[in-house]
Amino acid sequence: MFLEIKQLSKSFQNDLIVDRLSLSLDQYRTLSILGKSGCGKTTLLKLIAGLETADQGSIRVNGEDMTGKTPAERKIVYLYQEDLLFPHLTVRGNIGFGLKLQKIPASDIKEQVDLMIQRLELQGQGDKMPHQLSGGQRQRVSFGRAIITNPRLLLLDEPFGSLDVGTRQRMQELFKELTALYGITSLFVTHDLKEAILMGDDIGLMKKGSLQVYLDKQDFLLDPLTGVRSEIEFWESLLKPNY
Amino acid sequence: MKSKSAFGLLFFFLLGLLPFAAALVYALLYSLGIVGILSEGVSLTHWQQVIQSGELLGSFLYSALLAGTGVSLSVILALLISMGLRTSLQHRFWSLLMYFPLAIPGMVASFLSIQLLSKAGFFSRISMKLGWIDRLQEFPDWINDSYGIGIILTFVLIVSPFFVILFSNVYQNERIAELSTLAYSLGARGNQVFWQVTLPILFSKTKRIMILYFIFLLGSYEIPLVLGQESPQMLSVLIIRELKQFDLKLIPEGYVVAVAYTVVIAIAALLVFRRKEVQVHE
Repeated sequence: MFLEIKQLSKSFQNDLIVDRLSLSLDQYRTLSILGKSGCGKTTLLKLIAGLETADQGSIRVNGEDMTGKTPAERKIVYLYQEDLLFPHLTVRGNIGFGLKLQKIPASDIKEQVDLMIQRLELQGQGDKMPHQLSGGQRQRVSFGRAIITNPRLLLLDEPFGSLDVGTRQRMQELFKELTALYGITSLFVTHDLKEAILMGDDIGLMKKGSLQVYLDKQDFLLDPLTGVRSEIEFWESLLKPNY
Repeated sequence: MKSKSAFGLLFFFLLGLLPFAAALVYALLYSLGIVGILSEGVSLTHWQQVIQSGELLGSFLYSALLAGTGVSLSVILALLISMGLRTSLQHRFWSLLMYFPLAIPGMVASFLSIQLLSKAGFFSRISMKLGWIDRLQEFPDWINDSYGIGIILTFVLIVSPFFVILFSNVYQNERIAELSTLAYSLGARGNQVFWQVTLPILFSKTKRIMILYFIFLLGSYEIPLVLGQESPQMLSVLIIRELKQFDLKLIPEGYVVAVAYTVVIAIAALLVFRRKEVQVHE
């Protein structure tokens, strides 16, 4: 398994947020994690990224133990819920930020950034500052900036939550295209049922710090705890003739 | 709404711009010998005399050096304090402690500096008690000294707390903590986060205020009056000295310095603060 998490726990002031959580994920696959606010999704991602320290448990990526490694050493990128762009850098500067840190030659950075701008459909926007972009454009820059560094693992924390329906749908398609193209392994956290089903190769449900990963999508759809059945019943009730 | 805005502009013009413009025109006319008690008609003599003496240029460079050093040291100190004590500064006590020096008038700060930094002052006596110097006279000259050390230290005392508060607020408003976390996640190390994220954001958001403070210190009066030396003098002190001369024929030279100073600062301010058009595409 590419990602293996065993018995991971984290508490904040006696409040158990992640409770002996275990999961495994193959390389180049996306695991969708569905969960309500406060269920521990963000803390789980931050523990994997090394932005929080676990109280117990282990995280291994490609067989390598992540314990004690800094976020920079892990090569795992955590994407915020919001399109958090560096306000002092242009679109080009934001996308190339991670490459610049790796001290890659400027000409190579330019080439890779130009290609990414094209793939993100942001042609002509490269020299703009973040405040000159729309919400969808900002989110694309944020996404491109993470993918271009070719992370071992990409952690997405409700990345499209603030976008309108149309932009969200386009971003979901773009995410699938780019993760396939760049061979990205990812964890995609969302509270949106439809998004969880659409985005993940595998699906998990997180509740009160525990995660249940389903065998397949059918297994997920049949579990009453996921809310899929009640959702289907709701839409069916709208379609039934009203006598 | 439009009439309110027009009324506001008129109000600003009448109370803000007109008196200032009138004073500048009067000073210009005085410097050219057109008005004044002993005016002798239009002449560039006073301008020639001031420029040839080199005192204006010397004073300008001296003032710029002291103001620039004062702002730079204040910014560095404020950065160290605001970044080093970020959590502590959120507590009411430390926050109040930072606001306190802002309430000290320049004149009071100057006398405080004399008490602390002069040869007979606090630090001199402490140094002697600790055995670092044998006599008070051995303590370095920091008051009325040729390098303006007393002036610079007093500038730092009154300016740095403002920048501590400013940097702390910008740090929060611009969400630098989250951006730093993001940078770490993208592979940055501690020093890279500081030099490539924290510092550029803080500077880009506060550079205009730094320039305004430089201009403010460039024209400061009380501190260089009390702590400065005879020559060169900072601009405001020089201007007041020229305007209050016993020889009334030389008063236009004071106006020459004042007009030259105002024009240079106004041009510099216009260049720095001109706005660029920003387009947002949704």
